[in-house]
Amino acid sequence: MILEALEREGVEYIFGYPGGANLPIYQHLPEHPRLKHILVRHEQGAAHMADGYARACGKPGVVFATSGPGALNLVTGLCTAYMDSVPMIAITGQVNSTQVGRDAFQESDVIGATSSVTKHSYLVTSIDQLPRVIHEAFHIATTGRPGPVLIDICKDVQQANAERVTPDRLEIPGYQPNGHVNLEHAHEAARALAGAERPVILAGHGVLLSHAERELFKFAEKAAAPVGTTLLGIGAFPVNHPLSLHMTGFMGTGWNLKAVQNADVLMMVGMRVDDRVTARLADFAPNVKTFIHVDIDGSEMGKNVRPHIELVADARNALEAMTPHVGEVDAGRGQWLAQIDAWREEHPLKYTHSNGHLQPQDVLIDMYRRCRSEAIVVADVGQNQIWTALWWNYDRPGTFINSGGAGTMGFALPAAIGAKFGRPDKAVWCVAGEGGFVMTAQELSVAVEHNLDIKIVILNNFSLGMVRQFQDDFYGGVRSQVDMTHIPDFVKLADAYGLPGIRVDSLEQVGAAMDAAEKTKGPFLIDFRIDPEANVYPIVPLGKSLNDFWEAPDK
Amino acid sequence: MIGTPHPKTSAATPPRHEERVRVLSVLVEDGSNTLSKISGLIRRRGFHVRSISVGPSPQPGRSRMTLTVDAGHAESDQVRKQLERLVEVIEVEDVTGEDVHSRELVVAKVKASQVGGLVDLGAKVLNTASDGTTVEFSGEGKDVGDFIDELMRHGVVDVARSGPVVLRRTA
Repeated sequence: MILEALEREGVEYIFGYPGGANLPIYQHLPEHPRLKHILVRHEQGAAHMADGYARACGKPGVVFATSGPGALNLVTGLCTAYMDSVPMIAITGQVNSTQVGRDAFQESDVIGATSSVTKHSYLVTSIDQLPRVIHEAFHIATTGRPGPVLIDICKDVQQANAERVTPDRLEIPGYQPNGHVNLEHAHEAARALAGAERPVILAGHGVLLSHAERELFKFAEKAAAPVGTTLLGIGAFPVNHPLSLHMTGFMGTGWNLKAVQNADVLMMVGMRVDDRVTARLADFAPNVKTFIHVDIDGSEMGKNVRPHIELVADARNALEAMTPHVGEVDAGRGQWLAQIDAWREEHPLKYTHSNGHLQPQDVLIDMYRRCRSEAIVVADVGQNQIWTALWWNYDRPGTFINSGGAGTMGFALPAAIGAKFGRPDKAVWCVAGEGGFVMTAQELSVAVEHNLDIKIVILNNFSLGMVRQFQDDFYGGVRSQVDMTHIPDFVKLADAYGLPGIRVDSLEQVGAAMDAAEKTKGPFLIDFRIDPEANVYPIVPLGKSLNDFWEAPDK
Repeated sequence: MIGTPHPKTSAATPPRHEERVRVLSVLVEDGSNTLSKISGLIRRRGFHVRSISVGPSPQPGRSRMTLTVDAGHAESDQVRKQLERLVEVIEVEDVTGEDVHSRELVVAKVKASQVGGLVDLGAKVLNTASDGTTVEFSGEGKDVGDFIDELMRHGVVDVARSGPVVLRRTA
């Protein structure tokens, strides 16, 4: 009954792991060949795969896990999806309904453990609830601001038989995905931005989730307003466009931060305005007279920054509503854009490449030359994440996948696997540091088992680089527990898992290794031994304002 | 939301204490997880529950909650907005400072056998025994405060309070 319902919802892939409390589901799985089940090596991997799948192809990712430890292993993956508003359905087995509360074998309060990291959750104790619950879960996960929904199903319910009842309509009185839409101020917002002396638009993940990149492009060009993106907004506006400010936030580009800090009108579209965007909140965009906030989730209004004009709507509807009202652009706009160009010249992205070590940026630049905009790049978390975000000219949506809100190390490999299942037509590159990579490296088996054509780039500095950089600069220079000297030889590890791998120590070897990776059909791993002292720049020191960003030292 | 002066951030100008406390009338779906979802959300967002009372509503399968919540460092309106995000929550009405009937029930046992002062305030005697007298009282905020003051003068043995329940005066 569960599997039939999933078929009706159009599910193609399930990422899962069987166990005692979901055996009845697995017993009937072979009867449903349309549902392709990917056996993972750890449940966290399943959640990240479903996440990467959903981000790559837009359909909700589906996860199976058994009760107790199986379900609890999903928690990090659910949190990752929840923080970044990714649609996901997690179906977990629970002990028999008569055993609930008796501390049965592998029983845990999964609903209690996951309530704060799911958009919604259900405990199903009777077969009658099941068709409605599954249908509702897909609706809730995929509409409004998307997110993960968990369905915990008691084992006896999985075994029960009932007549197949397809709910013909949804009645969820407490859920109105677009119930609070308010576009009343579209006209004021458009005029405030177009008429501003120094406007800036910041675009977040919401622009990508609502497929509003064309509308954003039109609106920005019409209003002649520069556009920066958040980390998760990357791809919402082409980095090479003259109006682009590239990435914002405390590791954003210098010209972006200058623009934000000097703007008089700031429009924030489809974003949460979190601490990584604002740095010290009290000093965020201090010259702004009018904050305009556009988000589908009304609770984002004033959560961090109180807007003067708020539009509660998905980014596409809001931008569509605003564009006709842009009208005349302020006469001083040319001057403002010239000022931004000057900042772009004055504060370019730069890195050291003369100390004899392989620099991570060299690797990424070589990758970009090969892939351009045709690949999906999945980055992990840490220095590798920011390098991958900054040193790539993303010019369209769906090219960059990353755990932004939760910042989950170990995300990249399983998410890249999921992305490849979701978009088999696209080249998929996974970029990770050695620290994050070893957290979920067991999922290499999945890539090999399905001969997935993904290229794994490890930027290996034998150290937890971002933590090391913070310790060096913000925690008294004390390097504490950051050395990753005892990690596997990744080429041998690749061999043990059954995929080819190459080690690269110098810039001269990069091209040949990339050639080999590209020529290989199937997974390929490259262990890049990068400069152990390479740092991320620009960076705003912890607790400081965006004005105080540090740039790469000249060497 | 246009034209009014705004503090840019809630962190920059923390609201005064009395502004942070909101009284909310919340209609919810009955369900095993509803109360824990609401209390979990309030904890996670850094809010603090001052009082909570729950009872059935006229609509089957739904309950009416009256919550008194301190919004902590968040904008006070965040409490309502965050509650509205829960699927279990059907409707949230912020009735802080509104024209409402507000009543709290107090049941108390005092040592004194003479409780005229309490009866004068409107208390009803529930039980008289050799070890004390049990009374009940209901009223709105200030009356409850006055009653509690009077109670103290009678030697309190134990008190149970319901927390306020509210209903708009005009529909």
